[in-house]
Amino acid sequence: MACFEIKDLSFSYPGRDRAALDHVNLTVEQGEFVVLCGKSGCGKSTLMRHLKPVLAPHGEKSGRILFYGTDIGEVDFRAQSSQIGYVLQNPDNQIVTDKVWHELSFGLESLGADNETIRLRVAEMASYFGIQTWFQRDVSGLSGGQKQLLNLASIMAMQPLVLLLDEPTSQLDPIAASDFLETIRKINREVGTTIIITEHRLEDVFPYADRVVVMEKGRVIANDTPRVVGRDLKDKHNEMFYALPSPMRIYAGVDNDLECPLTVREGRAWISRLMDGVDIGEREIVDGKTFDDSDPVVEMKEVWFRYEKEGADIVKGLTVKIPKNKIFCIVGGNGTGKSTTMKLLTGILRPYRGKIKIWGRDIRKYKNNELFDHNMAMLPQNPQSLFVKSTVKDELLEMLSAAKLTKEEREAKAMEIAALVDIEDLLDQHPYDISGGEQQRAALAKVLLTEPKILLLDEPTKGLDNYFKFRLASILKDLNQKGVSVIMVSHDIEFCASYGDSCSMFFDGDIVITDTPNKFFSGNSFYTTSANRLSRHLFLNAVNNEDVISLCKRNLTTK
Amino acid sequence: MKNYDTFSTCHPLLNFGFFVIVMMMTMCFMHPAYLIISFTAAFIYSVYLNGRRGLRFNFLIALPMMILAALFNPLLVHKGATILAYFPTGNPLTLESIIYGIASAMMFVSVILWFSCYNRIMTSDKFIYLFGRLIPSVSLVFSMVLRFVPKFKTQAAVVANGQKCIGRDMAKGDRKQRLRNGLRMLSILTTWALENGIETADSMRSRGYGLRGRTSFSIFFFDTRDKILAVVMVLALLITFVPIAAGAVHIVYYPLVMMNGSTAAAVLNYISFGILCYMPLLLDLTEDVKWRVLKSKI
Repeated sequence: MACFEIKDLSFSYPGRDRAALDHVNLTVEQGEFVVLCGKSGCGKSTLMRHLKPVLAPHGEKSGRILFYGTDIGEVDFRAQSSQIGYVLQNPDNQIVTDKVWHELSFGLESLGADNETIRLRVAEMASYFGIQTWFQRDVSGLSGGQKQLLNLASIMAMQPLVLLLDEPTSQLDPIAASDFLETIRKINREVGTTIIITEHRLEDVFPYADRVVVMEKGRVIANDTPRVVGRDLKDKHNEMFYALPSPMRIYAGVDNDLECPLTVREGRAWISRLMDGVDIGEREIVDGKTFDDSDPVVEMKEVWFRYEKEGADIVKGLTVKIPKNKIFCIVGGNGTGKSTTMKLLTGILRPYRGKIKIWGRDIRKYKNNELFDHNMAMLPQNPQSLFVKSTVKDELLEMLSAAKLTKEEREAKAMEIAALVDIEDLLDQHPYDISGGEQQRAALAKVLLTEPKILLLDEPTKGLDNYFKFRLASILKDLNQKGVSVIMVSHDIEFCASYGDSCSMFFDGDIVITDTPNKFFSGNSFYTTSANRLSRHLFLNAVNNEDVISLCKRNLTTK
Repeated sequence: MKNYDTFSTCHPLLNFGFFVIVMMMTMCFMHPAYLIISFTAAFIYSVYLNGRRGLRFNFLIALPMMILAALFNPLLVHKGATILAYFPTGNPLTLESIIYGIASAMMFVSVILWFSCYNRIMTSDKFIYLFGRLIPSVSLVFSMVLRFVPKFKTQAAVVANGQKCIGRDMAKGDRKQRLRNGLRMLSILTTWALENGIETADSMRSRGYGLRGRTSFSIFFFDTRDKILAVVMVLALLITFVPIAAGAVHIVYYPLVMMNGSTAAAVLNYISFGILCYMPLLLDLTEDVKWRVLKSKI
């Protein structure tokens, strides 16, 4: 029997002309793993919420949704609480109580289970999800990944038949994200729970999917196996094509009629077969770039930092010169001191030894607001921390309040920036009402209005879809031209490889190596892009998808 | 160095009962024997629990506080029959007021020391467990508050830093400016809390909050050891109370200090109160010895 049958569902929010859902027809079978994707604002979240009636938005609705044959409106509160599990986007906001064990038992308490039953279920869940070691802890001490795992476990404790996940990994770093998705897959495979998940980072989740549903402007535009959907998006020249995993995009870039690979492993097999019998004359990309730090804008010299006197050192003897008018990327794992380094650069934290120079001048000599006056600005990881007004437009105007400009000039300037980051449609909305990716863009607009010369970005691509990542890259390049130096900390290897001027590996409180992306990533074998992992047995230094595609093409044409 | 504490692994009811009894006894009967027993026990236990930090707190804050409190009484209170000298103001300095000062200071500091132990032992979840039984909805609210407060504090720091890095330093400017910044911060954080609260509410509702017959789960058990300890505590309490009720243990400070003699009943009373106060330490000691023995057998 079908888990969900959606029949001709249309929905529009009150006061909006455009329908959020436009005649959606979809059937999800028991035990299926379905990935729902699409650009932000395509209606995927709205659709998900309709599948869990207590979360369904208010508005005009037509059509039907059947849950195991019953109309979903007739499924009572108790049944839907336990049978339909829903994981939301933000790991922090979903946690209700202060202790891990209490959170795990929350749902079962609601259902009125007795102590013995709860004990058993909680024990079961803690063991299955590997939570035993932090079972007694306070939730405030957990990492983002652990929090999201806890949210999942506390829902699974109620033994749901179907699990709905709305961009569950968008706030997590890539390692925590793939661990989380791996757990979802395990649940699907071992317990048989039906999974419906929305994602914008498709790299990890695509190979797990039985079916991929692509939405655009409230309509379902593709609904098939991952391979078929991939080909479909390519043929239609759809923007969503750029969200597909690297192997699929590389495959699509080269003319061939082999089977489409989904994973790096399949991609390696594919490229080997493609190149079988071909004399590989060209193995190398020559970009002619070198890393040059002779003209630094920021200089750190043997900087040491720790939070407490008795605590461990977080930054250990860091020495680095950051070149002018370039995009300088810092990559590395969690807790290696990257974010702390950013705080040192902005003067929020002070090193206990070593020197930091901005424009050749000691950071301690910058008084009052001098450091941030048309000089330095930082886009924090959490964009919400920048919002102070009740509309996006006021947010932008607020940044110009100190400038000596007429009202018209201010408006014009705000509009110009809004157009640059593509938030013109959102100007009248409350900054908290727009999606995570849109908040990130609005925050970027605010930061850009300070007209910084040094722009610090902490995880700028978090929550952004691939389409806007292109836009961000071109904005940054443009800023470089105008004399702005960009320093960014990121987990997004693909982004750094494609658009950075240099990449630095942060490890154990220090930068281990700094080089141009090409040299940097071709030297690594794990900490590198999918494109590089896929092609490294044939090509020397293909780092981006485009590199692999062009090398393939060149070798194939010389045949 | 913090020591491993066995008493904190006992049932919350015992933990809470212990502190209530010990603090009440210390406060209600300002008997010198009681004060000495209670003070030493609290002192040692707080150092045992908090390690070097406890020692520092005890010597740098608790002891000076005690001395100050002891000095204040004779300066302000002039009751008592034994006059030792006269102040320049003409008020008498009496022996009784000095003794009472010392006693009340000891009582005061003992209670503070017990509280420092209480904070380590009675964690929020234990408190919630005990009082949640009485009113289940309150226990959830309490737990949510405890979840919310650290989250709010973290966000406040994040916002302050975020604003500073776009040139909006909240801590700079004159007093009026800072006040305005403070209010602005409060408004930002309120919006943040309310907006994110919606998602928390969604998460609660999607897990069935609001259904009839909600239960309250706990991870605590009343095991055999707890039963034995409870019996010991009740017995010690009884042996302490009977001589008091019978009038074998008593003290008056004014106008003359008069207390009971060292009768057998009184000594028995002191010992049982001692056992009560030192119970957590005795428990830890036996545990330590047990481990030593177990280890030496390996």
